[in-house]
Amino acid sequence: MPPSNPETGRKSRKGASEEVIERTATERTDALGARSLRLAEYYHGKIETVPRVPVRSLADFSLWYTPGIAEVSRAIATDPDRSFDLTGRGNTIAIVTDGSRVLGLGNIGPRAALPVMEGKALLFKYLGGVDAIPLPISVESDTAFIETVERIAPAFGGINLEDIASPKCFRILEELQKRLPIPVWHDDQLGTAAATIAGFLNAVELTGRNVRSMRTVLLGAGAANIATARLLLALGHDPHRLTLVDHKGILDAERRDVDELMVRNRWKYRLALQTDGGDRRGGLVEAVEGADALLAASTPTPDTVKPEHIRAMASGPIVFALANPDPEIWPDIAKAAGAAVVATGRSDFPNQVNNSLIFPAVFRGILDARARSIPDGVVLAAAKELARHAHDAGLTVDHILPTMEETEFSPHVAAAVAEEAVRLGIAGRPRTRAEFYRIALEVMQRPPRLARELARSGVTLPMPDEKSPRRKKR
Amino acid sequence: MTTPKGKTEAERPNPNPTTAGPSVPIHLRPARASDIAQLVPLILRLKRLNEEFDPLLKVRPDAEERASEILKRDISDPEALVLAAEGVGTDKDKVVGVVRARVRERPFYSPEKEGVILDIYLLPLYRRRGVGEYLLQELSAALKAKGAGVLTAEFPVQNEIAIRFYTKQGFRPITTLHGRTM
Repeated sequence: MPPSNPETGRKSRKGASEEVIERTATERTDALGARSLRLAEYYHGKIETVPRVPVRSLADFSLWYTPGIAEVSRAIATDPDRSFDLTGRGNTIAIVTDGSRVLGLGNIGPRAALPVMEGKALLFKYLGGVDAIPLPISVESDTAFIETVERIAPAFGGINLEDIASPKCFRILEELQKRLPIPVWHDDQLGTAAATIAGFLNAVELTGRNVRSMRTVLLGAGAANIATARLLLALGHDPHRLTLVDHKGILDAERRDVDELMVRNRWKYRLALQTDGGDRRGGLVEAVEGADALLAASTPTPDTVKPEHIRAMASGPIVFALANPDPEIWPDIAKAAGAAVVATGRSDFPNQVNNSLIFPAVFRGILDARARSIPDGVVLAAAKELARHAHDAGLTVDHILPTMEETEFSPHVAAAVAEEAVRLGIAGRPRTRAEFYRIALEVMQRPPRLARELARSGVTLPMPDEKSPRRKKR
Repeated sequence: MTTPKGKTEAERPNPNPTTAGPSVPIHLRPARASDIAQLVPLILRLKRLNEEFDPLLKVRPDAEERASEILKRDISDPEALVLAAEGVGTDKDKVVGVVRARVRERPFYSPEKEGVILDIYLLPLYRRRGVGEYLLQELSAALKAKGAGVLTAEFPVQNEIAIRFYTKQGFRPITTLHGRTM
């Protein structure tokens, strides 16, 4: 019997050093959680409404509100499209969730989802200059979800769907994209897939491979990997060399549950038919045999991927272990088993596949171009531009993606997104790429400045558990 | 009698638009007793699919033996029709689909006989590309030869994919079967 870890109760077959890596990473997560809770108790939320206009005296309210404002309403009533210009609509999105699959926590409901949505709104603002309203909703059905979003759409320039369980997230996204005149994005599908593709493209180049001829295994067939598979096929990946694996094994066209998928999850069914298991049958062991890349985005269960899986792959394989917080295999273990490039979803290891690299810039570009939708071409444009930045900054096995600190990539990704929207004829406000870049840079620089100014003046309270520099002087 | 044909051009998503075409990658022939071993799993796949739609369609533990018996009976019954669909090319000799139908009396209505499609199943890779339509044409001709003046199909009422398919082929709902647990 393998020894059981007394702290986690988890059985372990690992050596002492591997155990330490895992333990410290898990401890870091626990410590952060405790601190997040204390800070939430102190700050009561992470975002607030801040005036965008000067208020010199109460008299100004006759401009910002009645009676003056009636003229603005009249203008929009005459031409509804002006709502994007005459209000904040053109820069405001809703972060909508039903709380059915929040982080790795599962179906915790809309109220418990709120802290996460607030955090997302903060990221949207800070990284993308996008005003995002956290909007967890209480609904009983997919149809109610869709109708609710449809009804709130007049207030928003775009919709970001968040933390919705698969497969209903596919139907909700598809249906809303069909119904709404504004762009709709599901970050758990598209944001994660775009960041994955960006890192993947660089890893492919770094290891001297070619997307068209390589064999790739996707472990996990949830929101992210189904979108990743679609994008890989759009990039010219051979469907017969693409194998999706889930908890029931390789997803092939004759798998026992394939008719059930036809009824319940036609997105997965479609991939089963297109790839037919990459012409393989069986489970993960059969899938990874000789494969060039393994992109794991599965339900977080530690040790899903074992060193022997990596050893069975082609020489110097690409391994993305994206489950959060615990990756399917720890990077050091994957590397020891021969992986040439390893990426995870964590910031404490190199190559973090992080959708924060994507979504703020995508929305920046989409809103600046006033795009009506976000087709896959736009998603790929974002991924490729992101990849180019890591590439130009110096591609190494530990740098296939920009880090969050390398913020200069972001307005470039926004401009690439906006330019692609113009090229596809879906931009309501076409500009040149240079103009889009200038606009994005300006808008994106404002929130960090705002945060700095508010902190400096003490309007934003300092962290209660840290000594502020001012106090130190005393 | 009017047919609602053309009225209902139900749009079905095609996952493989590049392979769309009139080519029918199957070869249809009457089933033989020697096919039964290959036909039973297909019938079971269909029944498990039906299970998705209603708890009263829960598949029995002995469904496999029953499928075998029923196929054996119907293959030699002149009032029944069992067709086996074989693949072509590398899948030649592989049974990729099954159709089972019976001719039923209609004592009170005319036409006097109907051909009822009881089971129809194709492995996923052999669907679309006009295969279902071709299957129906062949089946229709064979049942007509057995005296049927009406072609009907039985399937779970919640199976919207089947509804779309048959609607597109000119079918409309005639009678329904309502049920409850006793």
